[in-house]
Amino acid sequence: MLKILIPTLFLLPTTWLTSSKWLWPTALTQSMLIALGSITWLNNTTDTGWTALNSYIGTDPLSTPLLVLSCWLLPLMLLASQNHLSSEPINRQRMYITLLATLQLFLILAFGATEMIMFYVMFEATLIPTLLVITRWGNQTERLNAGTYFLFYTLAGSLPLLVALLMLQNNTGTLSLLIIPYAKPLLLMPFGSKIWWAACMIAFLVKMPLYGMHLWLPKAHVEAPVAGSMVLAAVLLKLGGYGMMRLMIVLDPLSKEMVYPFIVLALWGVIMTGSICLRQTDLKSLIAYSSVSHMGLVAGGILIQTPWGFTGALILMIAHGLASSALFCLANTNYERTHSRTMLLARGLQIALPLMTTWWFIASLANLALPPLPNLMGELMILTSLFNWSAWTLILTGIGTLITAAYSLYMFLMSQRGPLPQHMLALPPSYTREHLLMALHLIPLLLIILKPALLWGWFAC
Amino acid sequence: MNPFILSILLLSLGLGTTLTFASSHWLLAWMGLEISTLAIIPLMSQHHHPRAVEATTKYFITQAAAAALILFASTTNAWITGQWDINFDLHFFPASMLTMALALKMGLAPVHFWLPEVLQGLDLTTGLILSTWQKLAPFILMCQIMPVNSSLITFLGVTSTLVGGWGGLNQTQLRKILAYSSIAHLGWMILVMQFNQQLALLALIIYIPMTFSTFMIFKTNSSTTVNTLAASWAKTPALTAITPMILLSLGGLPPLSGFMPKWMILQELTKQDIPLTASIAALSALLSLYFYLRVSYAMTLTISPNNLNATTPWRLQTTASTLPLAISATISAMLLPLAPATLALLSL
Repeated sequence: MLKILIPTLFLLPTTWLTSSKWLWPTALTQSMLIALGSITWLNNTTDTGWTALNSYIGTDPLSTPLLVLSCWLLPLMLLASQNHLSSEPINRQRMYITLLATLQLFLILAFGATEMIMFYVMFEATLIPTLLVITRWGNQTERLNAGTYFLFYTLAGSLPLLVALLMLQNNTGTLSLLIIPYAKPLLLMPFGSKIWWAACMIAFLVKMPLYGMHLWLPKAHVEAPVAGSMVLAAVLLKLGGYGMMRLMIVLDPLSKEMVYPFIVLALWGVIMTGSICLRQTDLKSLIAYSSVSHMGLVAGGILIQTPWGFTGALILMIAHGLASSALFCLANTNYERTHSRTMLLARGLQIALPLMTTWWFIASLANLALPPLPNLMGELMILTSLFNWSAWTLILTGIGTLITAAYSLYMFLMSQRGPLPQHMLALPPSYTREHLLMALHLIPLLLIILKPALLWGWFAC
Repeated sequence: MNPFILSILLLSLGLGTTLTFASSHWLLAWMGLEISTLAIIPLMSQHHHPRAVEATTKYFITQAAAAALILFASTTNAWITGQWDINFDLHFFPASMLTMALALKMGLAPVHFWLPEVLQGLDLTTGLILSTWQKLAPFILMCQIMPVNSSLITFLGVTSTLVGGWGGLNQTQLRKILAYSSIAHLGWMILVMQFNQQLALLALIIYIPMTFSTFMIFKTNSSTTVNTLAASWAKTPALTAITPMILLSLGGLPPLSGFMPKWMILQELTKQDIPLTASIAALSALLSLYFYLRVSYAMTLTISPNNLNATTPWRLQTTASTLPLAISATISAMLLPLAPATLALLSL
């Protein structure tokens, strides 16, 4: 773990000590080498389940895909931000890279933490760099409101989580994930335990987000600059899913009754947010609501607590992370050329930028869960496990899948097909950097088709 | 001010607090409190500005009333129990009176009303002394009389955190914001004081560098309102980058130091089986966080190339040393990894 943590930590001196000519190439190379090094974590061969274990940090089949995703995303974020930051003073650019690198550090520590308080501290710590990226480098006045919503929704959920974790520590004597599965059963009170369950889960449900508590997400995703949107969509939402999966082991007998309203909200959210996507005029807002929709399915898969549900949730988290981040990068290529997110203004781009259309096509297909992409594998597994629990969920998830296909196709057709508007003059052609960025998003997604067992988590047999 | 007079006043201030620290007799403790009150009065009114004189008067009256109440309570306790020693438990009636008197001295809700107005009338340096040094003596006395009427202490604590949060929401004057911040933090300290005095001391020890840093930052920028902070990026760009960290640390966000006392206090409250109080206190911290966030928005997160909120002033080199601010800023932002060492130093 230190082989990855120390180079990530030393990205900070790197950004401040390299000359301005070499800043971006150096940061990019270092983060890429870290990402390649992190892929070695996927090799989980120990019998106990925990690899790279020491007193504080360890990895297991659940956290390694998410760790590799976060490490992979940092060079991609740097690639994506290079253009819009080039006009800023050099120290501001260094500050931006510093924020992204500290965010990376906190994410690695969060996913690698074996003790729940460490996870909690790192979970909260990721808020600060993200808040600073959104509110300082976002482009519209709404970014301040977005930052406030982001911070307060997450904190209002996670402060009760802190109290709940401390109560758990009081009860079992430890908060280490290594010990808790073997600890004595919880002393449960009739009503208080239900509140305690809710306090444990609400933080992660707000982060995922669950449909009723999702208002922060469209604001934050839309107002953030591209690197902020990428990391929010790809990794920070998954922190919620990961936390839920870790805590589910502890909450076991309570969850049987408590999950009902949340599964209902999750599935209803899939349909509602999908429908809103069909009416969006803002491209980034569409992708943001699509994220809520997919994460609603993930939430359903986790809350159902079956092996297929958990596996489907993990696969969908990774696949959605790559696909959603790719879509945000594509939306950013539009934004950098037209300085507008309105879909009506940037349409028919296949005529102007045909090579980018390939990436739009693949990313849209990934979003609508086309076989054989892992998005479909995740969705199908969750669908099946929900169907096994109750046949009626098939109506909701089926309609959800249809609506997802509809808005993904709508997004693709709106932005790429049709006549090019008269006002689109002098669009710079696609940069190699943008093609590289999209390739680095989508090629891993395609490669996962060949070995999805890497992402199956605990149940890869 | 004449340096000799200034040194006499500051040394008397130190004497008063030290006397209270060192005393085991209630009369001596009361004397220490009175000395420190009297010593700070000339410091407060040194500029002879009507607003400063008003603040001084308000401070004097409230502190004198509180001290008289302390005298009365300790005398009553001596009458009932027959001894003046601070270390012996108090009879419940003078104990409650003493608690309210010390709450008035420190500025806990619901007897906090003097603090924002007094702090607003002072210049930033004297305000700093009021917010940090003057809290030490009543705090120590409060620690020593524990455990006392539990519901009163919990009431004082929860009300203070809530009042500190809600009261600061509508403020644009920085000194009033810091006053409400002080009320909220004292609320947290009081909540845990009945169970574990060392944790209350930890909260105070973390709070003092954070408040010191904030006052020093405002002094460096010579700004007393939120709007004037918007020009700080031109005066002190490095400080502009660091201030959000200090403010968010005051708000109690991990991984900054301000999280440490909150975490430890919530842990203690949970161990003592009052998780509901813990949750209420935790959520009230969100109220305070809102106005800290607003200050950091105005100062750092809306700087150029976004719209300028204030005219850019001349960037003059400061002659004052920035070393104290550097040290306290580092402590207020980066002490959380050293939490085990800090707790061990407090013999927990």
